[in-house]
Amino acid sequence: MKFLKKIFDSKRKHFAQGGRFEKLHPIFEATETFFFIPGIVTKNDAHVRDSLDLKRLMSMVIIALIPPLFFGIYNTGFQSNIASGLPVTFIAVSLKGLRIVLPVIIVSYVVGFLWEILFASIRKHSISEGFLVTGLLFPLTLPPTIPLWQVALGISFGVVIGKELFGGTGRNFLNPALTGRAFLFFAYPIKMTGETVWTVVSNVNSSGVDTFSGATPLAVSAVQGTASFIESLLAKAGFTFPKLFFGLYPGSIGGTSTLMCLIGACLLIFTGIASYRIMIGGVLGVLVAAYPGYIMSLVSGNSTVPMLALYPLYHLVMGGFAFGITYMATDPVSAPGMNAAKWIYGFAIGFLTVLIRIFNPAFPEGVMLAILFMNLFSPLLDYFEIHFRLKKRVPNV
Amino acid sequence: MISIRTKKGYKLNIAGEPSHELEQLGKPTSVALLPERIPFVKPRLKVKVADQVKVGSPVFEDKRNPDLVFLSPGGGRITKIDFGPRRVIKEIVVELDQDEGYETFPIFNEAQVENIERQMLVKAIMTGGLWPLFRELPFRDIAAPDSIPPSIIVSLDANEPFQPMPEVYLKGKIELFEFGIKILQKLSEKLFISTSQNRSFILDQLNSYVTHICERVYPADDPGVLLYHIKKSFDENRAWYISGQDVLLLAMLFKTGKYPVERTVVIGGTLVRGKKHLLTRIGAPLSHLTKGRTDKTEKARYIVGGIFKGYKGGKDSYMGFYEKSLVLIPEGGEKEFLGFARPGFNKPSRSRAFLSFLNTSAFPMHCNCHGEERACINCGFCAQVCPVDILPQFTYKCILVDEIEEAIDHGLLDCVECGLCTYVCPSKLELCNVMKNTKKACYLEQL
Ligand code: SF4
Ligand code: SF4
Repeated sequence: MKFLKKIFDSKRKHFAQGGRFEKLHPIFEATETFFFIPGIVTKNDAHVRDSLDLKRLMSMVIIALIPPLFFGIYNTGFQSNIASGLPVTFIAVSLKGLRIVLPVIIVSYVVGFLWEILFASIRKHSISEGFLVTGLLFPLTLPPTIPLWQVALGISFGVVIGKELFGGTGRNFLNPALTGRAFLFFAYPIKMTGETVWTVVSNVNSSGVDTFSGATPLAVSAVQGTASFIESLLAKAGFTFPKLFFGLYPGSIGGTSTLMCLIGACLLIFTGIASYRIMIGGVLGVLVAAYPGYIMSLVSGNSTVPMLALYPLYHLVMGGFAFGITYMATDPVSAPGMNAAKWIYGFAIGFLTVLIRIFNPAFPEGVMLAILFMNLFSPLLDYFEIHFRLKKRVPNV
Repeated sequence: MISIRTKKGYKLNIAGEPSHELEQLGKPTSVALLPERIPFVKPRLKVKVADQVKVGSPVFEDKRNPDLVFLSPGGGRITKIDFGPRRVIKEIVVELDQDEGYETFPIFNEAQVENIERQMLVKAIMTGGLWPLFRELPFRDIAAPDSIPPSIIVSLDANEPFQPMPEVYLKGKIELFEFGIKILQKLSEKLFISTSQNRSFILDQLNSYVTHICERVYPADDPGVLLYHIKKSFDENRAWYISGQDVLLLAMLFKTGKYPVERTVVIGGTLVRGKKHLLTRIGAPLSHLTKGRTDKTEKARYIVGGIFKGYKGGKDSYMGFYEKSLVLIPEGGEKEFLGFARPGFNKPSRSRAFLSFLNTSAFPMHCNCHGEERACINCGFCAQVCPVDILPQFTYKCILVDEIEEAIDHGLLDCVECGLCTYVCPSKLELCNVMKNTKKACYLEQL
């Protein structure tokens, strides 16, 4: 590490003002501060500072993303091998998963970083750590069959339009990863929806292919019928509640396992980095939106609207809701900052997710749209709560 | 007694706490006045180098109000007047004589204080050089002598690391303090005295005077925080405050007829050996306090006036008129290899993002920022600690876009300048400093 320090010290002059690579200073700085917390000391009060900085904060989010990431890799490989009739030993499956997922993640990081560096050089500020999270969140929301050029396009859109256009991390009002994801969804719907995108089928010489049905639980349950009918349909397709909860079924790379998201959520809440208000609010929102319809369909015996009869708890474990509410909705930059506003925001996301699923089955990934939609409203929610709070203050002018 | 619940604030678990032992220090060779450290004052010198002064001789006055005089804390010869940039007077050094002379001031007993007219009392305090001890919220300028404050607040608590404990500076001086209270009662009908629950000494001895019990979390002891919690209407905003120890000075002036210079200060921080309370005098040299207590090996920062609110003092500078604390901690400044990825068992943090949450011992700290400045990510940590319910992240943004009126609506002027928001911010923004400077600018504009 002494050695590393020397390298940085000797190369610094090239990147300083007037140096040969002046324009690339943000890269130098980002690399150096990756290895070394800079030795900046306080200039004035408060003389001491908390050890937490953005790097650590974002690292914690990355750590919280590890369970869904690892599980996602395994699951992707597992689904692919089953569908392709290949052996499903742990090693084989993991390797397969890595082969599919790793390129997606690498493309996402590399392309996103290029944009970050470009903007940082133009704006002459340092590269923000926020991208470390965006760059990983984005691939986890994608179907495993995604072509790499679309990954590049999506992350570019997310970073440039979703974030840099508004001034970079901290000034964006949409979640960049979701912006990219939504862009792909609307630009290339074929690649994003349907029955075949969720599983990579790698060879065709085996008999496994015939029995493979790629329907997602959301698609399965988007039918008309009674609760028990839908449940039996789901069960027939192999989607029992425990299976949906554990997540071993075809779906987006990182978003299938509610259990893994729950582990991540616990870590985020415990460290105080993500808001439990948003998460719990979201769960409440789902239940409140789903129960009336469910009860109605129980009473009337049959339902004409698809999904209405689905047992409400299923909504929590299907279709990336858990992933969205844990990692996407809690992005502090695009979420409201006030406590009551956070409850409302979370609740509305859950509520809208269910509404979108019920009334517009064409957009099965309701949670994504719900979050983006609520992102737009978070400044307003904040505004109202602040306004209300200030009225209670004894004025001091 | 009213209990005040402060839900916010923060208790910094920092190593280097001074003991309650009180050591009497010998006489220093010189003392100084630091006009630079007295807020808003526009000093006009009344002495020049080589002049002879007594304890209590006027050294400078405030151009804004020439009756506001600042007296010499020592008898001897003026050896140095140090000007900073733009002719700010930084230091006026008095080299002490063996036998110091004393100016004399009128003596009052309790009955006299009871019967004196308020105006005369104010005048006596002014000529006695102690008027600057009264400060006015929210801008913390020296109180205006001709106004009558809605209330006077005295805090008998010490939650900022590290401040003199009231148990120590009041020991054996309860009567004197009570006399001081009499003087304050004359100045304002409403007198608020706060302490915290576990200060049994204060609760025993001064039970009838204590009006509020605050929590033992920084900065619940700040008069601004108390005021924020008890005020009902806007005309209570301009309350005065005076520190508990300074009430003793008032009493001493009236009892002895001499300008009082005795001061209990604490010396603490991890770079100090023998951390304790010291009985010394106003304007003592820092080197006098640290003598024999420091090792020269590590680069130390001398923080005068408290970890959060204090200022960086030079090694060979002096204690100011208001400051009662000297803390020496390492300057820091080393780079840390892969710091963000370490478990962080001994990295103090309010969050639980480090394993240090398992570690309940006091942490040695240094002045490293632990990261670089970034844009605000709206994490809300600052609002979680702000003792007066400001939303620093929003107020800060108002200030950045020059919406000062809006910032004031957000409660900017209630800000007690505690520095907690700056402490917790993971984006390492200088929130408190921005608030402080904006408040100051608002005040100067009003004048
Ligand atoms: S705004 Fe910051 S400095 Fe001011 S009172 Fe709140 S926490 Fe303290
Ligand atoms: S602590 Fe810093 S980053 Fe967080 S909301 Fe406050 S100002 Fe913004």
